Amino acid sequence: MATVTAPATRVSLPGFLKHRAAAKLALLALAAAILVPLADAQWASGSWPAALTVDLTQPLGRVSDWIIDNRDSHPLFLYGFGYVSNAVVLSVRAVYLVLLAAGWAGVTAVAALVAWRVAGVRLGLGAAAAFLTCGLLGMWIPTMQTLALMVVAVLVSVAVGAVLGLAAGLSDRMDRVLRPVLDTMQVLPAFAYLLPVVLVFGIGVPAAVLATVVYAAPPMARLTALGLRGADKEVLEAVESLGATSRQRLLTARIPLARKELLLGLNQTIMMALSMAVIASVIGAGGLGDRVYQALASVDVGAALAAGIPIVLLAVVLDRVTGAAGEGDSGGGHTGLSRRAGWAYALAAAVAVALVGRFAGRLDWPGSWTLNIAEPVNRAVDWMTDHLYSGVPVIGGTADWAGHFTTWVLDPLRDGLQALPWWSVLLIVAALAWVIGTWRTALTAVLAMAAIGVLGVWKPSLDTLSQVLAAVAVTLVLGFATGIAAARNDRVERLLRPVLDVFQTMPQFVYLIPVVALFGVGRAPAVAAAVVYALPAVVRITTQGLRQVDPAALESARSLGASSGQQIRQVQLPLARPALLLALNQGVVLVLAVVIIGGLVGGGALGYDVVFGLAQGDLATGLVAGAAIVCLGLMLDRVTQPTERRAKKGA
Amino acid sequence: MSTDLSTGTSTPASVETRPPVFSVDGLWKVFGPKAETVPADPELTSLPPAELRSRTGCTAAVRDVSFDVRKGEVFVVMGLSGSGKSTLVRCLTRLIEPTAGTIAIEGEDVRAMDKTRLRELRRHRAAMVFQHFGLLPHRTVVDNVAYGLEIQGVGKSERRDRAQEVVEKVGLEGMEHRRPSELSGGQRQRVGLARALAVDPEVLLFDEPFSALDPLIRRDMQEEVVRLHQEEGRTMVFITHDLSEALKLGDRIALMRDGEVVQLGTPEEIVGSPADDYVREFVRDVPREQVMTVRRAMRPGECVGPDHPGAIAADAVVADAIQVVSRSHRPACVVEDGRCLGVVDHERLLDVVAGTELRKEAV
Repeated sequence: MATVTAPATRVSLPGFLKHRAAAKLALLALAAAILVPLADAQWASGSWPAALTVDLTQPLGRVSDWIIDNRDSHPLFLYGFGYVSNAVVLSVRAVYLVLLAAGWAGVTAVAALVAWRVAGVRLGLGAAAAFLTCGLLGMWIPTMQTLALMVVAVLVSVAVGAVLGLAAGLSDRMDRVLRPVLDTMQVLPAFAYLLPVVLVFGIGVPAAVLATVVYAAPPMARLTALGLRGADKEVLEAVESLGATSRQRLLTARIPLARKELLLGLNQTIMMALSMAVIASVIGAGGLGDRVYQALASVDVGAALAAGIPIVLLAVVLDRVTGAAGEGDSGGGHTGLSRRAGWAYALAAAVAVALVGRFAGRLDWPGSWTLNIAEPVNRAVDWMTDHLYSGVPVIGGTADWAGHFTTWVLDPLRDGLQALPWWSVLLIVAALAWVIGTWRTALTAVLAMAAIGVLGVWKPSLDTLSQVLAAVAVTLVLGFATGIAAARNDRVERLLRPVLDVFQTMPQFVYLIPVVALFGVGRAPAVAAAVVYALPAVVRITTQGLRQVDPAALESARSLGASSGQQIRQVQLPLARPALLLALNQGVVLVLAVVIIGGLVGGGALGYDVVFGLAQGDLATGLVAGAAIVCLGLMLDRVTQPTERRAKKGA
Repeated sequence: MSTDLSTGTSTPASVETRPPVFSVDGLWKVFGPKAETVPADPELTSLPPAELRSRTGCTAAVRDVSFDVRKGEVFVVMGLSGSGKSTLVRCLTRLIEPTAGTIAIEGEDVRAMDKTRLRELRRHRAAMVFQHFGLLPHRTVVDNVAYGLEIQGVGKSERRDRAQEVVEKVGLEGMEHRRPSELSGGQRQRVGLARALAVDPEVLLFDEPFSALDPLIRRDMQEEVVRLHQEEGRTMVFITHDLSEALKLGDRIALMRDGEVVQLGTPEEIVGSPADDYVREFVRDVPREQVMTVRRAMRPGECVGPDHPGAIAADAVVADAIQVVSRSHRPACVVEDGRCLGVVDHERLLDVVAGTELRKEAV
């Protein structure tokens, strides 16, 4: 049977699609033929016509000035945001003081014992090792600062996300309202969230915490709603048939049944919070991220690495422990009592260690125990700069590559995009989005692109776009090739899996450190960081998609004597098309996020505008750039959004 | 509109005269836009399903169904998938809201009940066993069984004691602290059964409870249900798509097709006198000698001798009579309350097995 169906779909699908795509394109061409001459006659210009821009800088500047002037006097700030701000500062401070009071021994013991109880001995030891490494690198205080900020941000995010998720999970109307908002928030680069909070709260810890909450709460809300909605219908019916009230149904069935999704939501929220807490160093978060940010600003790779390693360790430990909590079925041989006893022992042990540390007078990490890795690393980087940057025989140097990539790929792409008449850019966007998705996604994409023009940041946006396109192209070539290899060969997949696991948990910010070491600063390093960041997700989705292809279809192709190449081209790739499109979509979203952050290492364009706006206190420029980032993110997401994505992108 | 053919001769007279527990009359469940207009419109109600759908966009899952479930009987609703039987059983406790008709439990109108009253009904009077068990995966066996009591607000120690009792009754001793995921399918359904029994309901509702189980385990569970029914005499409404299960368990069977009850009667009536070709086709392969009773096979009135050789009870199945007759090589008497009702011989018994006795009577 499958022999018949598989080739049949393969043959009919492209033909059918081509037909529809051709119809869409023809319709679009007709619209263009009417509209373009009109538009061109009216506003003939290569770049976005000045007549169609609205200058928001001045009004935004006035708003920002007004807020700065009135922050200490206006009742809105005194009694509204002021309280929020104070509460945030106080709670972060309180958590920080608790962490300091527990001392390094206490914190390490608590982390290790919690990890042990939740996820087993290996992770317990891992957690202890991770925290001790943070201390060893001389980063104990910044680690605690980041941790304090994260604890507060995660608690608030989980509370907000759970409430929103409950609303969306229980009410269909709330779900219809919230879902598109949450979906969109998920695809926007972290940088876009920074400026609005800074506008209201100014640079500092409150702004950092709130930006983190805004960034980290959506996954919790989405997964809570997903979990509540995905509950086994028959179980709910059984509960109802026993006469449960709706409150009983929620507390005894729906929430426990959603346990897995809730814990996955917690995991994602924690990871997003860490990622953002590090990025938020740009708006005064302090801690590890700030160390990286300062070091990168002076291209001090050694110092950046010393702060970057604790971030990575923190990310891996947090991810593994919360992930294990979600996977553990918590049943098995454990009865309730022995588990409780285990926790009691763990708690007692942690308190004991903390007290010992306290009475031994060793609350602070001892200064003599630190290992200065900055200098050796910097020596190594210097050596690399001298020997690997350029003039390596045959292959050239890394800086040469970066230079060539910039002159041969990035520059022509950027100049080409900027030289295109503005209406043709809109047309291309419309055509791509419509062919891949629906007329709705196409309309959103075109409107978003036009909004960029109206905001008056057409040129820098196209610059960013050119970097995104280049990075996406490289990511897809590498990602699809690796994905196909991993899907066809178990050994390759086994080798790749731990690497991908680690890479996917690392915050975006950390990726900037190695690329600066290798390529210096500029647009090419930003692109490289984006590629490295987006690659794991693309590889993973591709591999999964190819592996989930109906084995019967593949087997029947093999039984007909198809060669490996024929199997890939004629069965696997066509059947995995939805997964490949999803990989493209995810790749684009992830690449954009890092290309924007690349503004910190000389990526220029929109990211730089944001950083510049923050650094110079010119919030208007930053806000306009932030809005353009939102539009660009929306446009790229919608252009690559296949129609069936909604159902697929659960987690 | 009642299609009540339940003058079954094999049902003990005491059950027949008992008051009905559930009394369903003219029940409709229509899915689709403006569903409530369909049962009220005689023009629409006479349409076949496909035409109704194309005319109104509605599907009638249950069409004008009437029956009584009497106290202490096992009432089986049987039909193929999509015949509306699962919808029907859900309408009984309004897990699915009926579109039209009346449902009464012991004379009380179920459709008129308010939320609280309905909850009382679900908590105390009717409990359901589900096809895929519907257990809570995060609770142990005993906590699952006690769940219904917990919902009712019964104290912890009392509900544990009662749950423990029921767990033993369904043969799950020693598994009290396992999770559903650690049980086999048959064991899970025992938990589902125990959960329903724990609240001591007047009626047990079964929605295809054993269709997801392996054949051998299914037989065990069917015997379990027979045993429970014999021990406790609890009223049961049992939904199934399996004819042999229906014949084995049912005191009376309602056979459904496209939302309608095509025939309602004892197993013997369904097999012995099918109401139409659909039912006839359905019961074609049933081993008739296992279902038909001697009462139906006998030639009335003739007694072979005053000592009543053979002396078979009137409600014994034909298979038993065949053994007696073929061993003795002569006709046997059919005896009820010490009175001889008639005789069965080779010819009559063979007619029943061959399914030709009706035709002969017609001639």
